[in-house]
Amino acid sequence: MARVLENIGKGLLRKMGVATPEFRVVSNSEEAVIAAADIGYPVVIKALVTVGKRGKAGAVKFADNSKEAEKIAQEILSLTVRNFPVEQLLIEEKLDISQELYVSITFDSAKRCPVIIASTEGGMDIEEIARTRPEKIVKYPVNILEGLYPYQAKEIWSDIGLTGNALQQATQTLWNLYQGFENYDATILEVNPLAITSSGKIVAAAILMGVDDDALYRQKELLGKVEEGSDRAWRPLTDLEKKMVAVDAAEPYRGTARYTEMDGGDIGLIAGGGGGSLLAYDTLVRLGGTPANYTEFGGNPTETKVAGLVRGVLSKPGVKGLFMSVNITNNTQTDVVAKGFISGLHDMNIDPSRFPILVRLAGVNDHEAKKIFIKGGIEYYGDDVSMEDAANLFNEKMRKV
Amino acid sequence: MSILINRNSKIVIQGITGREASMVTRHAMAYGTKIDAGVTPGKEGQVVEGVPVFDTLKRACQKMELNTSVVYVPPAFAFDAVMEAIGNGIQTIIVITERIPRRDVAKFLAAADKAGCTLIGPNSVGVITPEDRVKIGAIGGDNVERCFVPGHVGVVSRSGGMTAECSWMVKRAGYGVSTSVSIGGDPLIGTTPKQILALFEEDPQTKAVILWGEPGTSYEEDVADFLMNGRFTKPLIAYIAGRFVEEMPDGTVFGHAASIVQGDMGRPSTKIKRLREAGGHVADNFNDIIGLLQAVLA
Repeated sequence: MARVLENIGKGLLRKMGVATPEFRVVSNSEEAVIAAADIGYPVVIKALVTVGKRGKAGAVKFADNSKEAEKIAQEILSLTVRNFPVEQLLIEEKLDISQELYVSITFDSAKRCPVIIASTEGGMDIEEIARTRPEKIVKYPVNILEGLYPYQAKEIWSDIGLTGNALQQATQTLWNLYQGFENYDATILEVNPLAITSSGKIVAAAILMGVDDDALYRQKELLGKVEEGSDRAWRPLTDLEKKMVAVDAAEPYRGTARYTEMDGGDIGLIAGGGGGSLLAYDTLVRLGGTPANYTEFGGNPTETKVAGLVRGVLSKPGVKGLFMSVNITNNTQTDVVAKGFISGLHDMNIDPSRFPILVRLAGVNDHEAKKIFIKGGIEYYGDDVSMEDAANLFNEKMRKV
Repeated sequence: MSILINRNSKIVIQGITGREASMVTRHAMAYGTKIDAGVTPGKEGQVVEGVPVFDTLKRACQKMELNTSVVYVPPAFAFDAVMEAIGNGIQTIIVITERIPRRDVAKFLAAADKAGCTLIGPNSVGVITPEDRVKIGAIGGDNVERCFVPGHVGVVSRSGGMTAECSWMVKRAGYGVSTSVSIGGDPLIGTTPKQILALFEEDPQTKAVILWGEPGTSYEEDVADFLMNGRFTKPLIAYIAGRFVEEMPDGTVFGHAASIVQGDMGRPSTKIKRLREAGGHVADNFNDIIGLLQAVLA
């Protein structure tokens, strides 16, 4: 999933016919004051970050005049919201709200289709609404082959008590939101609150949006506007992570390589496969080890991609050993992996007789892989030991250093 | 007996002329699997490893009976390929392609449901029934017997690589597999672990099942309910990976796209607890699978 900043998301929704408050993006308090005057007080000042629950973090505030705007802008710019340092602000017109609604559209892995969740109790977390007013929530699975009919959008709101002009307007907005969800290959689109203003307009006051990484090839409009792989970190991507995204993207559809940097740690971990990497990490942690990163590759990557991964993992300061743990491969050519691994070590001037390295890798062409590792002076295991045993052996090796 | 595929499967590979698909075809044929046809638009008349290639699935179906399709086409064309398989009456569709847009997946899953097809994947590494020497997808690579020998243990896994590794653990325990199924690690998949267990329950050859579970989704919780309700009565041994994910900030993906903990959803600890309450055997360490299997099959 690629997270979408609120200003970008609102721009996309406007194109789909969804009303949003007027807004400006600024990066310091002087700009904030100018933007606020331009929009007209009172204004809302929000942290422009890709994570939700900003209100609770004190990152959404109102300003009635330039003095307040300046102070609040400085305040919010100094915050870090759920690990995301605030670098920009959204200055928005403050809506005159008579009622707050909630709506979200996501894919549901149990129902295997888009599910719309709507409530007339917007403004708080959906978890909170579910706890306090469960009767005010509708969960509606959409038949994706047919799409959403306007009458279905109308039934959703009507079932939780909307009527009159609000029902008509909210129906149109929900239908537009669903079109936006499909049109932009979103994986999540949450509007909270979806405001009914005192003049009866329905406005998407705050939104959270994520789009499908795997659909970016057909979303030319989103190019350069969203950050691929941003759901694989709980904070902005680090420089190293960005470099690794580039290593992976340089050879699309020739295997995948993913790198997540952990806080601290001394074990460089390169694991094979989504499942195998979970096992390797779990096992190291159980043995008392501290991995410096979470890394997985799979799908028969090229030598260049593996070498890039090795360089990246080793370039993090504090890494004192390297463990490669791969399940018995079905299609990944282990000899290619071996060549890439050795070439990555060479690039980093690593001497395996001084730096603890252990590899467990078996599968396609592993007789060749074994030769390459042994020639390179690497402690190598194939299907003679289990993945867990290999982690044990590596752990002992690390402890000796 | 087995599940999903057997010696009577009439197999077609959509996208057979691609690099991976032609390698996989070679490995499958060498193992003894009969691949009946391939489809790549514009390449009719070519032959891949002895398998005739057709422009359309329709033309292949006019020449021969086909009931099982393997989808190997690139992500941008995968939706259409699955619809083509459904449209031509294929009953079992195994989607190998990774990184298919989620919207497309949701659409072809809905279409497969409507048509009553069984769809495995996407992002499956394949399915194998060793007794019949039938394998679909890359599963087992070029050295199938290393991991997959005939026997009475079913394997179902959200990870392709660990499908092989779990089957290898079965072999190390002194047994073999009836069928091993890689169901795919995506958030939207055609056939869930619970549905695979339902098939294993009906398969007389399968005496026990190994389940590889991961964080995210409610698949393992659904399996626990299934056990609780008495719908699966054979011994189930599970390993739930990714316990460390619970210690990490919420909403971060580790491994497969579906492997994510959000609030109380998708926690390995909950899955383990629920499976144990339902009578499942959950291995604390991956190596423990061997002893657990020997105990339940003794």
